[in-house]
This record gives sequence, C-alpha cells and structure tokens, in this order.
Amino acid sequence: QPRSDKVKSKCLESYGGRGQKCGGGDSPCPFPGLAAGVLEMRVKEGSKIRNLMGFAMARMQGEKTGSAVVFTGSGRAVTKTITCAEIMKRKVGCLHQMTKLRYKVVKEVWESNQGAASEMTVHRTVPSISILLSKDPLDPQEPGYQPPETLSALWEDRAGTEPSAQTTYKRPLGQLPYSGFPHCKKLCLEEEDQTNPA
Amino acid sequence: MTEPRNPGMSSVPQSNPSHTESSSQAVEMDPVEYTLRKRLPRKLPKRRNDVYVNMKTDFRAQLARCQKLLDGGGHREICVHGLGLAINRAINIALQLQASSQGALQLAANTSTVELIDDLEPEDPDEAGEPMTRTRNNSAIHIKVFYPDPQ
Repeated sequence: QPRSDKVKSKCLESYGGRGQKCGGGDSPCPFPGLAAGVLEMRVKEGSKIRNLMGFAMARMQGEKTGSAVVFTGSGRAVTKTITCAEIMKRKVGCLHQMTKLRYKVVKEVWESNQGAASEMTVHRTVPSISILLSKDPLDPQEPGYQPPETLSALWEDRAGTEPSAQTTYKRPLGQLPYSGFPHCKKLCLEEEDQTNPA
Repeated sequence: MTEPRNPGMSSVPQSNPSHTESSSQAVEMDPVEYTLRKRLPRKLPKRRNDVYVNMKTDFRAQLARCQKLLDGGGHREICVHGLGLAINRAINIALQLQASSQGALQLAANTSTVELIDDLEPEDPDEAGEPMTRTRNNSAIHIKVFYPDPQ
C-alpha cells in the first residue's frame, strides 16, 4: 500500500493542483426503508454549524414538515457532522438515533497543467458518517442504534453514575492541578461500585 | 483544529488583540494575564477491550493493537473511542478492522458529547486576576467492533 501511495503523489506532482473532486456517483442511502422526503444535511468541511442548524432545526420543529433528519459528512467534516447531530439531540430531545459508518469512494479528476488534454482519475476512499435522527422509534436491534436521552448503549452499566461523576469534577480551580487526576479516576470508580447494586 | 491536544502547553494568544476582541468569549478577560490550561477529559472507563484512540500514537500501532485484541486477545468485541480530532482516526481504525476481516466484523457506532474544562490561570500571581474555569463541549464517538452472534 505505501508503494502505491508514493506512485500516486509522484503522478500528481506533474499534474499540478487542478484536482477536481467529484462525488463517488450516487452513493446509496445507508438507511434502507427510510421515507423519501427525509431531509438530508450534507455537512462539508467549510459548512457553518449555525447555517446547518438554523435550517435543520426549522424543519424539525415545524409542526408537519419533518420528523427525521439525516446528517452526512466525510473526511474532515465527520467531526462537524457529529457535532450537528449532538446539538440537535440536545435541543430537540427524545430523538432516536442511528449511526452508520462506511468508506466512501471519491473520484478525483486531475487535469494536467501542461495544457495537454490528458486527465487522470484517482479513486480515493474516505471515511464517512451518516447519522439519522428521528422522532419516531427506530429498530433497536440494528447496529448503531442509540435510544433517546442516554449517553449510549455502550455505557448502559455506567449510565446511572454519570450525573454524580459530573458534579464531582466541577471543583474550584487552583486546588487541583493535573496531579489530581489519578485521584479523580479512583473516585469515579468508587462511586460506580456503590451505585451499581442499587 | 491546529491546537495541540496537550494540557498545560497552550496559552491564550497574547500578541493579537484584534483576535481576542472579536471573539465574544474572550471579551471579559485580559489576554495578557491568563494562561489557558486544558484539563484532561474526565472519566475514562477502561475495560480490557476499550481502546482510546489519540493523535499522538502512530496509527498503525493503534490499529495493530485493536487487531491483536480481536485475534489473539480472545475478545468477541472491542470498543474504540475517539474524541474531537481523533474521531476520524477512530472511524478509520474501525473501518480498517472491518475491511480486513472480510466482512466478519460489524460496527455499531454511538456518538456523545463530552464536557471539557479549561483552566484560566493568572500569569502574574500579584495581579488581582481571579483564576477561572470555562467549560466547553466536544463531540466523541464510541464504536463497538464485534463478531455478530450466529443466529
């Protein structure tokens, strides 16, 4: 794999910076059985969160317009995509979530900067994420499902201790520099032991 | 984005007054007097099959560690966690694991918000600056990588 990378970058050098990204065709919807009219927010690297959220929130909060929204993003926009979904979950509440990860194939067309008509296409795979947020219940058996108002299914056994742990950590500044962290961790574990049997 | 995830090493920009004026969060404090210290994220639940991905360790080393847990470690499932910038790497690791298993592995991703705390410490203890804390949120991902139970 490293070898092919090297070849590619060498090629691209002579082709100059005229790369043009094209989507990898029409990637199929990661959520089969989803109604056709569902709003899909395509989050890009340069998208402003306030623009995305302004639009998506208006649609979600409108009475009859929408009961679900999909946020998708790839590459460096993945973090922003998650942030959008997290903000919406916090603001709207009671949303069922389904998260899907996959590789997306991006076709890049590189034009030669020597003026010749030669073109080169490069297929790259970038990780992408799709997050479905729905007011209606989703299939809990499907991998990637997250019920409303919980940290996550992965943390089921700890979810009860979460609020208490949070308050423990908001201590006044100055008392606890970094040296205090192993102590904090221990505290957290103790609390867990106490609350688990309840 | 370019800020190193390194507690205690980064400081408030001092020579750029226009920048601090324009950002609403920094209005009430004097940029000269405070050092911004980022605390480590709180609570790290750590089972044997939890892997916390960071941006300092070599990618291949982290991938190999996950692979080893699944192959030799005898775990049917592992949990890959990523926070902030490391979300991308966590996803990459999970997808790589899945690809190299020829479809035997499945992924179940969950997202969450993690509250982070910054300490603002006065540079000069003689000045009347109060130490402050500021909380902010960052996104995180938790990916369960598992062999589905035969049904």
